[in-house]
Amino acid sequence: MNIGVGPGVLPARRAGGTRRMRLAPIVMIFPAVAVLLAITVFPLLYELRLTVVSWELTTGFPPQFVGPANFVRVFTQDPRFWNAVIKTGFLVVVGVGLQTIIGTGLALELYGLGRVRTTVLSFLLIPVMIAPVIAGFQFRMIYNDQFGPLNYLLDTLTHGTVRGAAWLADPRIALWAVMATDVWQWTPFMTLVVLAGLQAIPGELLEAAEVDGATGPQTFWRVTLPLLLPVIVIGMLVRFMDTFKLFDIVYQLTGGGPGSVTETIAYYTYLQGFKFFSLGYTSAMAFVQLAVITVVAQIFLRYQRRMRAGMIA
Amino acid sequence: MRKRTRGHRLRTALILGAALVFFLFPVAWMFFTSFKTNAEYFSYPPVFIPKSFALTNYLNAMRLPPDGRGGLQGVRDSLIISAGSMAICVLVGAPAAYAFARFRTGGENLSFWVLSTRMFPPVASALPLFLVFRFLHLLDTHLALIIANTIFNLPFVIWLLKGFFEDLPAELEEAAVIDGTTVFGAFRRVALPLVAPGVVVTALFSFIFTWNEFMFALLFTRRDVRTLTIIVPSLVGGHEILWGEIAAVGVVAIIPNVILALMLQRFLVRGLTLGAVKG
Repeated sequence: MNIGVGPGVLPARRAGGTRRMRLAPIVMIFPAVAVLLAITVFPLLYELRLTVVSWELTTGFPPQFVGPANFVRVFTQDPRFWNAVIKTGFLVVVGVGLQTIIGTGLALELYGLGRVRTTVLSFLLIPVMIAPVIAGFQFRMIYNDQFGPLNYLLDTLTHGTVRGAAWLADPRIALWAVMATDVWQWTPFMTLVVLAGLQAIPGELLEAAEVDGATGPQTFWRVTLPLLLPVIVIGMLVRFMDTFKLFDIVYQLTGGGPGSVTETIAYYTYLQGFKFFSLGYTSAMAFVQLAVITVVAQIFLRYQRRMRAGMIA
Repeated sequence: MRKRTRGHRLRTALILGAALVFFLFPVAWMFFTSFKTNAEYFSYPPVFIPKSFALTNYLNAMRLPPDGRGGLQGVRDSLIISAGSMAICVLVGAPAAYAFARFRTGGENLSFWVLSTRMFPPVASALPLFLVFRFLHLLDTHLALIIANTIFNLPFVIWLLKGFFEDLPAELEEAAVIDGTTVFGAFRRVALPLVAPGVVVTALFSFIFTWNEFMFALLFTRRDVRTLTIIVPSLVGGHEILWGEIAAVGVVAIIPNVILALMLQRFLVRGLTLGAVKG
């Protein structure tokens, strides 16, 4: 893709153009920008103002100016927030890691497949498309410790040597159960992304490696993987941003419990805002999350631009 | 390509077969549950495939509590909100995408800002939106959810369509402009028809994102508006859980998703990576 003026850019920009031609694109962009300003920037400015007040709807006191106290509380006085950070971090690191590894493995297997590849992939992608909250409902039935199929299958297939568990109620397992649901839903996404990357690798490169006497694993580690890295990074960044916001399946599966074992940042923020009604504190937490996401989004966008410009792979 | 031995192919078949079972089992379980009687659901060892495939649970699900409309209301509300947000986003987003693609209006910073709003954590926008909607008496209306979903869908539509326009050679539009067509005319009569498939794909994606959306629907609705994604968890939280009926609502709720997964495969990678990987 070209950056800057060149083919693909209409003459209006290239050489002066008439005034109407220069105005037209601005008119075309205006409604979209106006809508986005109204529904994103305006509410966020309002929220920014809330970050410096203490406003507890449960007490009935009017909002009180407290300066940076809310942010101080987020960073130094709220162990429950940091619990949520750790839980979310676990889901991001282990969960997205597993999605990437399993997803890449499946993509390599699919790549070797002939015509049925498209059909198999279509069916694998059903989990990706369905609503997370419905995925949560499905796993709620599967994890059911009395009537669910998981404990039954474990018991039958291992002839009783592996005991089933109360997957969502056991504090040692619940977070893994939530993660497994997310991994179930999004591993095919990584497969899809990596497969697209594989299809873009010129066949000659792999043939050349073979002619030079490279073994299968050598070809994979030295040729295929480095060429796949950009799409894998893009896929992981998308997954990072989504997992960072993880809410729906937590709500449906555990409600953050037992205790706060499965409480993600998004879920805890929801509790503070819509169950405890601490409006000022919730706003401060919201801005901390916005800051993190903005940084990651910038990395994603710049990486994507460099990739399109052909500077990576 | 390396020659594949028979053992190799067998291994591939086994791995992919296992993957298909793993990734489809939960969906199949919900499907089968939607036909089970209560006795079949509450039995051990569990019943995998129900005796009868009567539509009893589906008919009951349409008349679920609290007000006896349950599933039907969910279908109606999810459709209205998803279609409404989709229409707004395509109408407002398509011209903007064109201007970004062809004129780089506002430069890189503006288009980056537009896309970065897509990444916002919904929980961060939820509180101020809630207060604004309450002030405007919009809580529990379709409009509130259409607006809220537009926050994420509009940037998505703009960004994806921008990619489709950029893929189009500009010569045709240049010729039209030189022949005296206005810029808007070149967009509407030349570029737009050529990217029509891209517009359809983008619109369908935005439809599904709203269809799947949960948090805003949870926070901004109560009784008058209840999307399918709200009905399922609210019934699971109830006293007497009607698993068969809820599963029936769940099956109805994933019909459009399954159709699109099977139909849109060629465009999925593009849509799900915000155009970063074109496939």
